Amino acid sequence: MKELNELNLPANVRYTEDHEWAKIVGSTVRIGVSDYAQDQLGDIVFVEFPEVGDSFEQGEEFGSLESVKAVSELYLPLSGEIVAINEDLADSPELINEDPYVNWIVEIKPADKSEFEELMNAEQYMDMLEG
Amino acid sequence: MEELKRTALYSWHVEHGANIAPFGEYEMPLWYTGGAKAEHLAVISGAGLFDTSHMAVVTVAGAKARELIQYCFSKDLDHCVGLKKGPLVIGRCVYGVFLNPDGTVLDDAIVYQVAEKGYMVVVNAGMGGAIAERLEKYNTDYNADVDDLTDQVGKMDVQGPAAAKIVKKLLADPEKVLANMAYFSFKGGFAGIDAAEPVTLVDGTSLMLSRTGYTGEFGFEIFIDKDDFVRVWQEVMAAGEEFGALPCGLAARDSLRAGAVLPLSHQDIGNWLFGANPWLFALPFTDDQKGFTKKFVGSEAVAATGKVLHTLPFAGYDPRKIVVSDETFVTDMEGKNIGRILTCATDMAIGRVDGVIYSVASITEDGCPAAFVPKGLSCGFVQLEEDLAPGTEVILTDGRKKKITVEIRADVRPRRTARRPMKEML
Repeated sequence: MKELNELNLPANVRYTEDHEWAKIVGSTVRIGVSDYAQDQLGDIVFVEFPEVGDSFEQGEEFGSLESVKAVSELYLPLSGEIVAINEDLADSPELINEDPYVNWIVEIKPADKSEFEELMNAEQYMDMLEG
Repeated sequence: MEELKRTALYSWHVEHGANIAPFGEYEMPLWYTGGAKAEHLAVISGAGLFDTSHMAVVTVAGAKARELIQYCFSKDLDHCVGLKKGPLVIGRCVYGVFLNPDGTVLDDAIVYQVAEKGYMVVVNAGMGGAIAERLEKYNTDYNADVDDLTDQVGKMDVQGPAAAKIVKKLLADPEKVLANMAYFSFKGGFAGIDAAEPVTLVDGTSLMLSRTGYTGEFGFEIFIDKDDFVRVWQEVMAAGEEFGALPCGLAARDSLRAGAVLPLSHQDIGNWLFGANPWLFALPFTDDQKGFTKKFVGSEAVAATGKVLHTLPFAGYDPRKIVVSDETFVTDMEGKNIGRILTCATDMAIGRVDGVIYSVASITEDGCPAAFVPKGLSCGFVQLEEDLAPGTEVILTDGRKKKITVEIRADVRPRRTARRPMKEML
């Protein structure tokens, strides 16, 4: 298990209390899980995706990750409509363990971009992890 | 809360990146840096090394030690070895259960005959005291010496098809030790257990080498003096490197044993009547299967005909599982609650092709496509009111919205190596 100072927490994404990250890519936002989340979960063996076109509120469950240890629900960092899912993860869910930031899970069209600004930056997220 | 115990290897585990979690009274590794999937696969294709020194050892010695065990343990020590059901002798061991008088399970165990009048009982973590107490309770007529060696014995499991090749490198006289070593036999001893025929390593260490395990794969359980334990673990790790051996945590141990249809005590067998499950070979049936060859604690209760719950293995269709809790249950395909989930894990070495389960160890002669890459299947045990035939589908649910369809099975992971002849594995 990684020590907190070994975690990769890039500054170009925002984080949630549930250990998801969000990153603005043009007019859409990509969503994934943090290095802390993938490290805690261990080997991810299955990703349960929503359907493209589904809409969720901020904080609503939109899917789950199955790891050898547990089933972990995924909560959407900001409200919006699913516009893409990362199909690569259907065949190779372990990509999330390899690089949780390159390997995003879903892409959404945000309903309210101001919700993004409320998310934690890397420093605030690290503060939370340090408790 | 009482402070958790640590095995002698705790620092080694931490230094090697183990994700540590509480397991019973112990802090144990769940997996190391490579992850549980790599560990699970290493045991199927090469080897894995497990720290199992949290398990408990109880010794029973004396003129009537055998009679005491006969009365407390489910297996008939006079009719249990091999197809011909010969008597347990020095160098042989058997799997069975300690039942309560009402037919429920206190724990499962392997009983080793280590001397003419001496036995070693290996039970689950934290159970040494309860088993010693049980034996003492019935000891009045037998006067045996019962010793709980909990936390005094080092134990590691070397499991996987390369296990013999690894052990061979370390043994002082490998040809003699490994020759014709049968499944459920052992050689050697350690502090507290005098060996009829000692097993020593090149470095002079004495140990007990047992051809047993909890993964369904070929391998050994090694019992060793606690002072030698960490050093020998490192020697085994080094010897295993060329075979891709990995240290393995409890997650891989659980997923391997689930795919091998082996029970976890207090989860798949426990405080309910021992019956209608895949492990009835633990009972001392007569040849006609109608009665028992001996009377023992719990025998009358398990022999009585009455309502019994059915414990059945299952496998799913993908790696998704249900994390078992008080809210989870099993339904038929119409949604009617028919029982509970005991174990649900993911065997990462198997997958389905047109419904048929293959393993990474499967070969084309089995019908397995050459390019087969398994994604893993959920598997484990359900406990149902009624018996269901293999092939029947049921639904596991978390009690909320998650539902996965699984198939009742007679067996799960094909091509297991546990029973392969020693000569094929050297």
